[in-house]
Amino acid sequence: MATTAVATHPAAPRRNLGIARLLRDVPILGPLAALILACIFFSTQTENFISGAHLSFVLQQMVVVGTLAIGQSLIILTGGIDLSNGMVMALSSVLMTGLFANSGMPPSLAILLAFAACIAFGVVNGWLVTAIGLPPFIVTLGTYSIGYALVRIYTTATITRVPDSLLFFGERFNIGTTGITVGSVLMLVLYAIAWFVLRSTPAGRAVYAVGDNPEAARLAGINTRRVLMAVYVLAALIYGVGAVLQVGRMGVGDPQAGTDANLQSITAVVLGGTSLLGGRGNVLGTLVGTLIVGVFRMGLQLMGLSTNAQVLITGVLLILTASLDFVAQRAK
Amino acid sequence: MTPTATPGKVLLEMKGIGKSFPGVKALEGVSLTLREGQVHALLGENGAGKSTLIKILSGAYTRDAGEIFFDGKGVDIRGPEDAQALGISTIYQEFNLARDLTVAENIFIGHLPRKNGLTVDWQAVRTRSRALLDRLGAKISVDALVSRLSVAEQQLVEIAKSLNRKTRVLIMDEPSAVLGESDLERLFQVVRSLQAEGIGIIYISHRLREIYELADEVTILKDGRYVATKRVAEVNMDELVRLMVGRALTDVYPKRQPKLGEVLLEVKGLSRRHLVHDVSFQLRAGEIVGFSGITGSGRTEVMRAIFGADEHTAEMRVAGQPYKARSPTAAIRRGIALVTEDRKGQGLLLKQDVTMNTTISGLRYLTRGGLIRRAKEDALVAKMIKDLRIKTPNAKFHVVNMSGGNQQKVILARWLSMNTKVLIMDEPTRGIDVGSKSEIYQLMDDLTKQGVGIIMISSELPEVLGMSDRILVMREGTIVGELTRDAATEEGVMNYAVGNLAKATATAPAPAS
Repeated sequence: MATTAVATHPAAPRRNLGIARLLRDVPILGPLAALILACIFFSTQTENFISGAHLSFVLQQMVVVGTLAIGQSLIILTGGIDLSNGMVMALSSVLMTGLFANSGMPPSLAILLAFAACIAFGVVNGWLVTAIGLPPFIVTLGTYSIGYALVRIYTTATITRVPDSLLFFGERFNIGTTGITVGSVLMLVLYAIAWFVLRSTPAGRAVYAVGDNPEAARLAGINTRRVLMAVYVLAALIYGVGAVLQVGRMGVGDPQAGTDANLQSITAVVLGGTSLLGGRGNVLGTLVGTLIVGVFRMGLQLMGLSTNAQVLITGVLLILTASLDFVAQRAK
Repeated sequence: MTPTATPGKVLLEMKGIGKSFPGVKALEGVSLTLREGQVHALLGENGAGKSTLIKILSGAYTRDAGEIFFDGKGVDIRGPEDAQALGISTIYQEFNLARDLTVAENIFIGHLPRKNGLTVDWQAVRTRSRALLDRLGAKISVDALVSRLSVAEQQLVEIAKSLNRKTRVLIMDEPSAVLGESDLERLFQVVRSLQAEGIGIIYISHRLREIYELADEVTILKDGRYVATKRVAEVNMDELVRLMVGRALTDVYPKRQPKLGEVLLEVKGLSRRHLVHDVSFQLRAGEIVGFSGITGSGRTEVMRAIFGADEHTAEMRVAGQPYKARSPTAAIRRGIALVTEDRKGQGLLLKQDVTMNTTISGLRYLTRGGLIRRAKEDALVAKMIKDLRIKTPNAKFHVVNMSGGNQQKVILARWLSMNTKVLIMDEPTRGIDVGSKSEIYQLMDDLTKQGVGIIMISSELPEVLGMSDRILVMREGTIVGELTRDAATEEGVMNYAVGNLAKATATAPAPAS
């Protein structure tokens, strides 16, 4: 009996197969369609737009923001937002290089302490959100400033001596003729893990439940505070990985890095169809959102537009996508 | 006892008022006459149509049938502006105050007086607010922030606000429900002084004592229909209660033949500061215990405490073993479940699908090695959809698009898909169509046959009488009466609930509890 139920359920006829309903049931289709349209558009404007080299380039360019956006997705799914992620990443990256280069620590200890700093930020963010009940926007705006200052108090100079183990993540290997960096692969692996955990574990369900309705989640037996705390700490650890990828890609510890990574990561999350109100969305969407930003940047660059024009068009894109989503949600 | 003010000329007359909503006749043939300086009480159970009637008067709804006369002239109230222009003001239970503004600002919100046609004349705002508050005998500072005031003080600000406009008819929707005993006397004084000024007052309350204290006449509504208008001096409490509830029981309820088992839940001395005092009771396997009482009597607060949702003190046992309700998680692990009254706000995860809503509380029974076993989950949800006859295209359907009855079934599926022993249901059929209602009653009966114990809070007397094996009546945070299924009558329950105690104990002696 149970087996028949399982067998019939996915095959059950879908009624009212309207585009709006399809978009709601499979929300990643929207961003995916946007990504494909963007690729088609740029293919008509430039030579050989769709190629392995270009894909590799987009991945490299977006590897840090793409990684930070995973943590950002988790937090936004709970109904929060994280403005501090770029600074946590920057602090971590100057610590893991600076403690090695300037303080003479072994690389493993330097990296460990850098990750500890990330965890500290995650704990502070999570504690202020759960125990004090402050809005995440305010909390992370504060920790953004604190992180910004701490980075500059620690160093204003770029740290050029970097542990070899970190440079590994900037190295390339070839698939056919296309060179892919190890860091890009690590980012994709992180996306796969986050997607799997959100989809297939009770903890992942709890993230959605808390973001959907914290009181209903609590009354359904979910320890909402523990879920939020775990999400903020986990996100901070992911920012630590972001720091590793940043150092690996640039080959230096850069105190100027990450200043606008918070806004870029939010852009990627929203373009990926995740609701800023929490409880709805998906990290694969965020990956697509990240790729959309990357494709637009590269495409516009190939068309000869300036960096400022690229940023401007990204802004327009963000507002357009968010409006479409908002109208679609309101329509039902 | 009855106020001595002589009623003046007829101020307001409503004749044959009717109002329908899709599928429901909310009001039919309701009439009411209000004179200057009269306090006219409006009495009826939840859902009797009181709110609909006053919303028609205040312009929140428009009537479908009937006529309204004001000062003898036919009027048409199409919106709140029309009601305001006539001088009809309403004090709802939920105050309409801006919490972060001062008392004076709230009183004058929307029509601040100007100086030189430009700047606000704050001096006038403050002095005129002071005068209004003095008229009510209120010693509140006009500069105090509303958020700092007690509920009783906020109510006075609401009244002052309505007096600041021309007010000839004041509608008060259960003004005493939000007040403590100590603030009642002041409310009565205010009502009497407004009455002396010639204002006509429509006063809604469940508390019979107040009606005798304040009102000249009382109009009783039941199921949206007009029952009677009586002079308060000429009707006794028993008759009022009978007029309020007297109706035939219908046969939507299953015939219960409970087989009681062991004591599943034992509650001793449960208290919550200001809300619940020393509540003790037992629930047996296979039993349905009904909790009756008026809104605000503390029933929901008791249940939330048992479920671990709020802080409390109590000594409890589940199946004989000591139980501390530290959190909903702890309660659920001991087999206690709560179906909340506010389905959308506290029950459902509205952005999620049927599957997620069904299994969210019992995922730990569906995992292996920390991963959710999809096949097992899908099978379980499919079984629940079938067993509870949940109408949904598929298990991935989002619950926000379902009817109230089906949403309630999804919540029930959540608790029945795991090992629930004590099922607490707070207003289980509120906002649910008749068909789903009887299905839910049938389900409750079936569950008790499987040894589940059910606690049901209900404000619908027929439901309480139709489903409960035993009825506990709460009033002002404590259990005031216990009635067995056979001894219970609607009048008996209502007498306990409204505090007509002499009569309550005379008609239905409470078994020693």
